[in-house]
Amino acid sequence: MVSMELTPEQRESRLGWQLIAPCLGVIGLLIIYPILYNIYLSFFDVKLTGDKIFIGLANYERLLKDAAFYGSVLTTIIYLIGTVVGTTLVALLVALLMNIEFPLRSLVRTLILLPYFAPVISVVFGWQFIFDPVNGIYNHVMVEVLGLAAERHNLIGQPKTALFVVIVFDIWKHFPISYLLIVSKLQSINKDQYEAAAIDGYGPFGRFIHVTLPELYFVLGTLVILRLIWNLNKFEDVYLLAPNVQTLPIFTYYTAFTGIIDQGFAASISVVQFALLAFLIYFYVKKVLKW
Amino acid sequence: MNRKRSLLQNMLLTLAIVAVLFFCLFPFVQILSTSLKHQFDWGNPSLIPVKINLNAYKELLGFVQATEEQIPATVKKLLENPLITPEQREKILAKYRSTSDVFPFPRFFLNTFLLSASAASVSLALAVLGAYAFSRLRFGGRTIIQRSILFVYMVGGVLLMVPLYQMSVKVGLARTVWGSLLSLLLIYIIQTLPVSLYMLGNYFRTIPYSIEEAATTDGCSRLQSIFVIIIPLSVPMLVTVFVYCFIIAWNEFLFASVFLKQYHMFHTLPLALQSLFVSKNAIWDRIMAASMLTLIPVIVCFMFAMRNLSGGLAEGGVKE
Amino acid sequence: MASVRFKNVDKWFGKTQVLHDINLDIKESEFVVLVGPSGCGKSTTLRLLAGLEDISAGDIYINDKIVNLLEPQHRNIAMVFQNYALYPHKNVQENIIFGLKRAKASRDLIESRLDKASKMLQLQEFLQRKPAQLSGGQRQRVAMGRAIVRDADVFLFDEPLSNLDAKLRNQMRYEIRRIHREYQTTSVYVTHDQVEAMTLGDRVVVMKDGYIEQVGTPMELYLQPKNIFVATFIGAPSMNILDATLYPEYIELEGQKLPLATNLVKTSVPSDGQKVKFGIRPDFFQDEQLISAGEALTTLPNVHIDIIEPLGYDRELNLKLGHQTLKARLDLRSTAREGDTINLCFDMRRAHIFDIETEKNLTI
Ligand SMILES: Nc1ncnc2c1ncn2[C@@H]1O[C@H](COP(=O)(O)OP(=O)(O)OP(=O)(O)O)[C@@H](O)[C@H]1O
Ligand SMILES: [Mg+2]
Repeated sequence: MVSMELTPEQRESRLGWQLIAPCLGVIGLLIIYPILYNIYLSFFDVKLTGDKIFIGLANYERLLKDAAFYGSVLTTIIYLIGTVVGTTLVALLVALLMNIEFPLRSLVRTLILLPYFAPVISVVFGWQFIFDPVNGIYNHVMVEVLGLAAERHNLIGQPKTALFVVIVFDIWKHFPISYLLIVSKLQSINKDQYEAAAIDGYGPFGRFIHVTLPELYFVLGTLVILRLIWNLNKFEDVYLLAPNVQTLPIFTYYTAFTGIIDQGFAASISVVQFALLAFLIYFYVKKVLKW
Repeated sequence: MNRKRSLLQNMLLTLAIVAVLFFCLFPFVQILSTSLKHQFDWGNPSLIPVKINLNAYKELLGFVQATEEQIPATVKKLLENPLITPEQREKILAKYRSTSDVFPFPRFFLNTFLLSASAASVSLALAVLGAYAFSRLRFGGRTIIQRSILFVYMVGGVLLMVPLYQMSVKVGLARTVWGSLLSLLLIYIIQTLPVSLYMLGNYFRTIPYSIEEAATTDGCSRLQSIFVIIIPLSVPMLVTVFVYCFIIAWNEFLFASVFLKQYHMFHTLPLALQSLFVSKNAIWDRIMAASMLTLIPVIVCFMFAMRNLSGGLAEGGVKE
Repeated sequence: MASVRFKNVDKWFGKTQVLHDINLDIKESEFVVLVGPSGCGKSTTLRLLAGLEDISAGDIYINDKIVNLLEPQHRNIAMVFQNYALYPHKNVQENIIFGLKRAKASRDLIESRLDKASKMLQLQEFLQRKPAQLSGGQRQRVAMGRAIVRDADVFLFDEPLSNLDAKLRNQMRYEIRRIHREYQTTSVYVTHDQVEAMTLGDRVVVMKDGYIEQVGTPMELYLQPKNIFVATFIGAPSMNILDATLYPEYIELEGQKLPLATNLVKTSVPSDGQKVKFGIRPDFFQDEQLISAGEALTTLPNVHIDIIEPLGYDRELNLKLGHQTLKARLDLRSTAREGDTINLCFDMRRAHIFDIETEKNLTI
């Protein structure tokens, strides 16, 4: 029964809370609470069975002395720089290319999106196969066709080179979505601006610098920072292709669930990663969204 | 700027397009090709199989038995011993029906499908109501809610692996297979809910308010107008969001491995493919065929969503 | 059909007040137009009546019943929106009968109403089309049809014609009048176009900055504007407002003493002269050479002609009187040329004198 005391706006407000409540409940219970709980756990020695002993900052002290942790941070940084720069550049180039008219363009545009939509699990093994030391086309081309390498290498088998493969894979997998955003922005640029710039004496390159880039500035900024955020959280893309490339999430996973299980320690790694993430999000919100 | 391109420019353009397409599509072609090759052909760089091999697909889809049970003669004898109870016999037999060798693809497919579809449906249902609330209803605190949703959208599940696991241990869900499945379902729901909220919220905001106001003056309550106006108008977006959530769950490996590792028959495809791969009776054609079969439903969804999306249903009802 | 009443209605959006003490009585079957410049609160007034916004203070009555707390769907009103707001996923017929179906009307009733409305609006051919397949004018007619089949107590229109081109706008204006004559439904119509206001309204409400400036029939507003704002807002070209000094017997305008008509100024005038604004519509000027003898007119001699805009039957003269500019609309018989001077005549009883502080009209 609708109470007659409420005004239409109050009723609207009440409906708003009622409709959002289930979402808030789920998010609060399964996201917000776990975030806090994670911080709490990082002060404990946690057993897989759930038993825990309070150890204060010991996990963090250990973390700061752990060479593997620093190795993981370094891997993460290289991975992030490589994928963010690569994804954005490839996306920009492809977007500029797809902005030119040619026959069958719409078909090509759709096909380009395929890597993004393909499930990771259905493509990682294809990539494994390409770099397979015995059967893979990569080694065939490098050794037999081009002669750039003296012998076949197991690229994915060694963490250093595997990181490189992971970066290329991630660029391949994620550039389409950036491309899509750039190309839709490109199409919204007013043709007049190019014509005005052409009349002012700018060639194609000058027009790119003075018209296209300024217009893309916001989109590119958004893409870079969001890609940083997404990739900092990437697990499947890295782990399934090359389990030996230990970015932070994978390092946490190994610590939490394999070998000598130490969930408290893993929690403290997550806390550090979370702090990093929170900083990036803050930066995104302040500088890009300008709230 | 509609000048005709010179021959050279045309060639460069064509070259560039071919290069991009090659980059994007080569891995798919490679997968398809290898899935159809016989073992002797794997090292051959040509993409066209010397002889087409469909065995991998047949095996995966259950048309032929993968491997016959290989039970040593001594064990067979042992089994004939009348002192052995049927349960014991089963146990021994099960050992030899080596689990890593049997790869019930349809079963894994169904597991993944059910899990992903339920997670996506629940998430979508919650998100429709929630996104409607914060994008179209005025209430105190809605800006804060909108911003927090953007925030949790970016946090991602990886950060929460320890606390979520610990929580499910604490309430006892991790102890049983159904509890584990439920934990996983809940985790998939929260992994997709922020995305759904975010995408739907943005979309709902583009539907002109006046359409809904017209509906209220025509006699709909706000709640009714969600079902009569907003949902029908958002069908393409709902499909897209569903597919998006579905794919997130379909891909998920981390939590699936944490919760389901020990329950072989409940493995999802990522988990199953991964264990097939590392088990090293891994055979490339089987892995590639399994990859293909995992890929196809997603491609179908993708094409469906793309076609729907270009419909642009909200055009025409109002003027810009 | 219903009566509508606003009683001391205020509206605040957060800390800004956008409507101040709105009082308005609308009789059954009346067609009332709200007019005013952009942002003056016309749409807000309409939306309060529709129940799409809460009122902050005061009461709104429909049929002598307070509806402050009633939600839009229970107010039995129909609204036509500026952007049409058709349901894009429903065809024309479904759009039109949507409200009736909601109200669970019988099939026969729906059929007959739909039939009548689609005939009236010439929509029979389009009933199965989706809104996207219609032209702007057709969409507007569908929106109108959606309102009229409902048998609502009140029709609300929020600038329904502003997205149409000039020709279509005239035609739709005519159709709205026909519909109102046919259905006699109480209507509130918002526009910022004073021509629409004058031609459609039984009564017109002029608003500014959230206040009602004046309510009256179109001719009342034209002939007896309460203040400078209404005087200049209604009528095109708008009324000339000139600086002048008022004495008990005459008014002094750029050094010329023009005798006042008896009883023109209703308030007492200080004898030592008071700065005022003098208002006269361009339409009320005549060329001295063309008036017949015997008319008791006042003459404004030697006005310099700056620019002439020929508009067909009319010629609009832009004039200079001392440092002030003014306009006159003369008919095509006038032979005045740019650069000449002209003697203009007018009836002092048609002129207005406004207080310089309050801008109130002292002649009514
Ligand atoms: N939802 C709102 N929140 C805050 N201020 C509002 C809101 N809606 C309207 N206003 C303000 O109230 C005032 C009146 O707005 P309203 O829409 O009624 O003007 P209007 O007379 O219809 O103008 P127009 O001719 O441009 O449509 C404006 O100053 C506007 O900025
Ligand atoms: Mg308005």
